[in-house]
Amino acid sequence: MTEAIRAEKLKKAFGHTTALDGVSMHVAYGETLGILGDNGAGKSTLIKILTGYHQPDAGQVFVDGRPVALASVSQARALGIECVYQDLALVNGLSIYHNMFLNRELLRPPNLHWWPFRLLDHAEMRRRAERALADIGVDVPSVEVEVGALSGGQRQAIAVARAVHGEARILLLDEPLAAMGAREARLIIGLIERLKARGDIAIVMIAHNYAQTLEICDRIMLMQHGEVTFESPAATTSAEQLLDIVRREYRAARAG
Amino acid sequence: MPDTDSPHPGRIAPLPERRGVARRLHDFLLRPEASVIVVSAALVLYFEVANPNFLSGDNIETLSQFVAAPVIIACGEIMLLICREIDLSVGQVFALAPFVMGFAEAAGLPIIAAMVVALLVSGLIGLLIGLITIRLSVPSFITTLGAFFLINGITLTISRGFPANVPVGTDLAGFMGAWGYAEFVWALGIVAVMHVVLRHTRWGLHTVATGGNVIAAAEAGIRIDHIKIGNFVLTSTLGGFTGLMEAFRVGSADPLAGGSNIMFLGVASGVIGGTAIAGGAGTIVGGLVGGIMLGVLQDGFTLQGINAFMFNIIIGAAILIAMVANIHLARWRAPGGAR
Repeated sequence: MTEAIRAEKLKKAFGHTTALDGVSMHVAYGETLGILGDNGAGKSTLIKILTGYHQPDAGQVFVDGRPVALASVSQARALGIECVYQDLALVNGLSIYHNMFLNRELLRPPNLHWWPFRLLDHAEMRRRAERALADIGVDVPSVEVEVGALSGGQRQAIAVARAVHGEARILLLDEPLAAMGAREARLIIGLIERLKARGDIAIVMIAHNYAQTLEICDRIMLMQHGEVTFESPAATTSAEQLLDIVRREYRAARAG
Repeated sequence: MPDTDSPHPGRIAPLPERRGVARRLHDFLLRPEASVIVVSAALVLYFEVANPNFLSGDNIETLSQFVAAPVIIACGEIMLLICREIDLSVGQVFALAPFVMGFAEAAGLPIIAAMVVALLVSGLIGLLIGLITIRLSVPSFITTLGAFFLINGITLTISRGFPANVPVGTDLAGFMGAWGYAEFVWALGIVAVMHVVLRHTRWGLHTVATGGNVIAAAEAGIRIDHIKIGNFVLTSTLGGFTGLMEAFRVGSADPLAGGSNIMFLGVASGVIGGTAIAGGAGTIVGGLVGGIMLGVLQDGFTLQGINAFMFNIIIGAAILIAMVANIHLARWRAPGGAR
């Protein structure tokens, strides 16, 4: 598998608090990396560096093997890195297809060449949104449904579809299964599996649920206090094993 | 039951289907404007029965003139409300614009150029309000409350408190407002343009996105500040235009015209027509329908001989009822039925 993104020895401090203390990670196209860890372990800081929201104090990020400077969210996006946040991504009052084309709207060809204002091409956006959703197996009755009428899982699926449709090749998912019922979680897990099968998208997901993460991901990474404390292929790891490690870390932290 | 074995794990349950006339009627009645159209029709019927002059040519002309100004103002306010702002000062721009035109004309400009100057000044006021609101993070409620008194003071100062004449009897005056239906034709034209802007341009879509979820809109790269400031400019310019229109109709510029009354009628038209005060949703057509309903109420009760005090009670009740109806109907309006 070709490597998509690699981070080496990232460090980041906010004032006196060290958020990341030399974290390295990598993920390949067609691979899914799960990052587990408690609140404050540095998962979000890592994601925010990869999306260009924060800049690291030290360390280097490589995309497709080339060193890159992720100075802004739009720079990261231009490199194909996109993060899907569970609640922040969509506009409730707008339809699915308007959300999928938000700020990337398609316009109708001008009727008069001198007329500067062009109208939205609703029909074409609808058609392409339908196709984009069908491509990754998200089945909606109508792309004209307002996003506010969808459930959490459906909204998440639309947000992921939008990122992929917007040519994201490195997809960061921030707690994609949080606060979801079994049925909803199935919907997203199925979607992630189909994206994985395409082989041209690298997925990094932050999660809390060990069992689910082991099921979805190819590789998992455990973070604690800004460091990677454990890394292993999911196939050879069990939830009990992970729990053991975390328990030991806690005991060590309390003793120290 | 978790459908772990479903052949379509991404399947989203289809909407229950209804067909034919019932479906169409159902869809229509769930539109935000529909309840207002139904109520307006009932009111027209009631007033016509109570007073046969209600649907006379003269009265319809009067009605159209009463409706036009609030509807045009509503077009601006609806755009602002959708992106979570409001302009309380638009009625003062309405009063100021004819005087600006008068001064520009007195300074030797042709009347058309003087009108353009008045509209530019109106737009500039909107730009300043927008810049203060967005760049200095002052809530627009406060910015425009300040602007309300400020612009009123300027109008009173430059007019010395006296009305001024506006050219009458010209083709231009007729075109702008003196001809009986001129104002209403303008209002319909502006409604049509603004409807297209809201529903069929990126500007409109981004206005809805800004009000609906400002973080998502910003994340998608929409320039929130441009959208909001632009809508302030738009509202102020429409306010100035309406002021010019009314001045041409009446034949004079009145420093005490407009004010809070015209602004509240504009906002009320939008809100009655289904625009959400909390932003993210609204329709221009709703503003037209809301304005017509307020006009029918005022005109009908005036013919009945109900006084102005009573009218305010009725208008207040109408706004409250419309708001309650809109908020509660919205639950059934969501696709998929009651939730």
